[in-house]
Amino acid sequence: MTDARSELVQGTLEMLVLKTLAFEPMHGWGIAQRIERLSHDVFLVTQGSLYPALVRMKRRGWITSSWRTTENNRRARYYALTAAGQRQLEQERVSWQRVSSAVNDILRASHIPATT
Amino acid sequence: MSALSDVWARLSSLLLRRREERELAEELRFHLAMEAESRRAAGTPAAEAERQSRIALGGVERTSEEVRDARGTRVFEDSLRDVSYAMRTLARSPGFALVVMLTLALGIGGTTAVFSAVDAVLLKPLPYQEPGRLVRLYQHGASTPGDRGVVTPVHYLAYRRQLTSFEHLAAVLTYNTTGEDLAGSGHAERIQVLPVSADYFDVLRAQPVIGRDFERSEENGAPSVILSHDLWERLYHGNAGAVGQALVMSGTPFTIVGVMPAGYVDPMVPGVAAWVPLDLRPGLDASNADNHYLDVLGRLRAGVTLSRAQAELNTVDATLAREYAGTSDMRATLYQLKEDVVGGASRSLQLMLGAVGLVLLLVCVNVATLLLVRGSARAHEFALRAALGGMRGRLVRQMLIESFVLALAGELAGLVVARLAMAAIVALGAGSVPRLDSLTMDSGVLAFSLAITGASAIVFGILPALRAARAQPIDALRAEGRALSGGQRQSRVRSGLVTAQVALAFVLLVGAGLLIVSFHRLRSLDLGVKADRALVFELHLPEARYDSTARARFYEGVATRIAQLPGVRAAGGISRLPATGSFHRWGTRALTGPVVGKPDGQVGAEQRVVSGDYFRAAGIPILEGRAFDARDDASAPRRAIVSTSAAHQLFPGVDPIGQRLRTGGFDWDVIGVVPDVGLDVEGRSAPTVYHAHAQFAGDRDWALTQVVSTSGSPTAMLPAIRSAIAMMDPELVLYRPMTMADAIGAGTAQRKLTLVVLASFAAIALILAALGLFGALSYSVKLRAREFGVRMALGAERGAIRRLVLRQGLAVTVAGVAVGVLGALALSRIMASVVFHVKPLDPGVLAGAVLFILLVGAAAAYLPAHRATAVDPRSILQ
Repeated sequence: MTDARSELVQGTLEMLVLKTLAFEPMHGWGIAQRIERLSHDVFLVTQGSLYPALVRMKRRGWITSSWRTTENNRRARYYALTAAGQRQLEQERVSWQRVSSAVNDILRASHIPATT
Repeated sequence: MSALSDVWARLSSLLLRRREERELAEELRFHLAMEAESRRAAGTPAAEAERQSRIALGGVERTSEEVRDARGTRVFEDSLRDVSYAMRTLARSPGFALVVMLTLALGIGGTTAVFSAVDAVLLKPLPYQEPGRLVRLYQHGASTPGDRGVVTPVHYLAYRRQLTSFEHLAAVLTYNTTGEDLAGSGHAERIQVLPVSADYFDVLRAQPVIGRDFERSEENGAPSVILSHDLWERLYHGNAGAVGQALVMSGTPFTIVGVMPAGYVDPMVPGVAAWVPLDLRPGLDASNADNHYLDVLGRLRAGVTLSRAQAELNTVDATLAREYAGTSDMRATLYQLKEDVVGGASRSLQLMLGAVGLVLLLVCVNVATLLLVRGSARAHEFALRAALGGMRGRLVRQMLIESFVLALAGELAGLVVARLAMAAIVALGAGSVPRLDSLTMDSGVLAFSLAITGASAIVFGILPALRAARAQPIDALRAEGRALSGGQRQSRVRSGLVTAQVALAFVLLVGAGLLIVSFHRLRSLDLGVKADRALVFELHLPEARYDSTARARFYEGVATRIAQLPGVRAAGGISRLPATGSFHRWGTRALTGPVVGKPDGQVGAEQRVVSGDYFRAAGIPILEGRAFDARDDASAPRRAIVSTSAAHQLFPGVDPIGQRLRTGGFDWDVIGVVPDVGLDVEGRSAPTVYHAHAQFAGDRDWALTQVVSTSGSPTAMLPAIRSAIAMMDPELVLYRPMTMADAIGAGTAQRKLTLVVLASFAAIALILAALGLFGALSYSVKLRAREFGVRMALGAERGAIRRLVLRQGLAVTVAGVAVGVLGALALSRIMASVVFHVKPLDPGVLAGAVLFILLVGAAAAYLPAHRATAVDPRSILQ
């Protein structure tokens, strides 16, 4: 859990959770379902990584939680985005786009540009 | 903001832990239910959907653990849980917990108590401003640089005038601390009074709270006095008007010029009640450059090192040696005041600290053994926890926390032990160990105590903790009744620990044995006097009522009168009792005989003034010539009796009787020779010259300690003696009466303290080691019960089984002794400096210790061996 790879995965998961919650408050299972569906089942969200991430995000004040009843009448804990979470999502989106476009630039490159 | 909410979130989850756990469980159940439902919706049969979901989601317990981690409360939470778990575990075996707690209490309490003494005596600075600059100055002969002799007034005054390294240099006359009589309200009382030079309080930077301190102009025996706070409270009830009034001491009125602050402790004489100016007039004693009687202490100037001051002192000494050539060839050496005050106690205390350190180590080893044995009993629990996925790190932490809980319990009980031990040390050491009265349980001592508690917890806890972490999950599946821990490795570790205990106990036993033998040798040393049937007490005659003639008449008269009492054999007086240290040591020269005028014709000889029938009263025979009698009065030529070593040095090869010697500015005829007597309790002696008080009284007023030899119990004679003296002078104080044995025995008090402390430690160590051996053997017998049963069922004799266990116990003991001998060898250098008339590896002591510890080992092994034979073969085979 300390190596760079899992850090990245963890950070990414948090961003995706924030994005999911930006639509509407949702319970843990729903969050996992949505991420999986939106990623066309590329990502598998295990409960072992989801719930610790939710607890961490709650501690940081990005999300809040409350117990509500679902449409089929079950009690579930719903998570909702806070203003801080909104800001965090925006921040992560910007930085993600910068990083991913940079990575894409490198991967698409066909020749080494001359050094200036 | 975010940091704050983080802390709040952590804290609230800590406080709401139970609710959070419940909610997490519900949340995960919900997750599983939804997962299964979605699979059912996709057409999977219900049971299969449930199963698949479980597999897909992974372990609920694992997720919960990770969520708990994410909450960030783990550390507190787990520690709290571990502590409460530890307490519950210990509460389930209160006997074990109690034994461990008491064992630790002995180690921690003992160490704390000894450390508090070390702290009070050795570590705490002297209670004066900038104590590092305070030094003592001692004189010694050119050929005896280690001696710490007192100083002549001639040298002192020269040093004070010439040395620039010192801010102040003061002289004190500790000889006279026996003090003065206060004859107030009917009953006479004696107080300790210290004559000091005018710089004395400047050196210590202590000033009177009321009034002033002494001035140089008063160094002529001026009748001024400064009172201690206690005496002022007692006599004047804290009335500031006391300053200026007269206090009559021994018949002479002294003007009170000042009162010292409460809590001021004199470094030279801690119990002193008052100070008077020291008489430093030339022509009195100062005429004599070879008359040593002053204690000198000074304060170095800021920035001046001891070695620089010493260098300056050496230069001055060279000049003085030329100036007083033929009279005095003395050098002076500086010592840190604290080092000097603490003196010999330092070695004893270091020894005690070392010994108690060994005890603490033994205690830790002992507890480690107990924990290991118990850990073996709990092996099943550990294996089960490992099987359920408990992490090894957590198991180690759990075990260490148990150790800390035990150690803290030991600390609490240990503080009680420490209190008792401290009281015992103070009671035993009072009077022989300086600064012991400042011994307290302060924050420093407490911090030390807690630190050793923590260290002990780690020392005794680490091995059992690591052992627990090695538990194999597979062991949990084995039958619980089966021995999980009888492995060779484990039993080797246990034997190793018991061996270590025996070795430590052996080292302490040897140390205690050496001290016991030393003390016995010291006590049975022939000091040349018969101290067991003699009473001693001091009689001080006030100068105002007794001139030299009256003094002479009184001392002879009182001796005669006491000698006539039934039950008294002989009575006399002496200026300083034998075996109580060097006193008036004067340069003494032969005026006749073969060494006249040669350098070795001059010796430093102890001068003693005697009255009455002193030699007979003290049990000292006259070897040649005669004792003093009525012929030797002030009108007769001055006569002296010399000790054998004085006779050999001053008059080698000739009959000393009739020879002449010079000392103290007068010439003396030798009329008798007596054997040398001990100058101190260790039997050292020095050339001694005895003078008759009747001839000496006109020169100096030396108070005489009376010695009365009795046929019965010395103290029983006290009332008769008291009334005999009261008939001669009802106002006299019979001061500090005691048996001569006690008066001399005071010199062995410090040794006795060391001895008692070390012997107690050795006893504790021995008991602990025996218990350790007993425990380990009992446990091993329990583990092998089945084996013994099978053996006996197959026809082994009970005797053989018993021998087997006894042999096992003795093997460990012998191994411990072997290691212990090496330890004793390693420590022999340290012991060499504290033992007396016995070698640090005395074969007798070593053999005794070996025998003793083997006996204890055999005794400890006997019961387990007996139990081994009590196994009923049938019960095993069923």
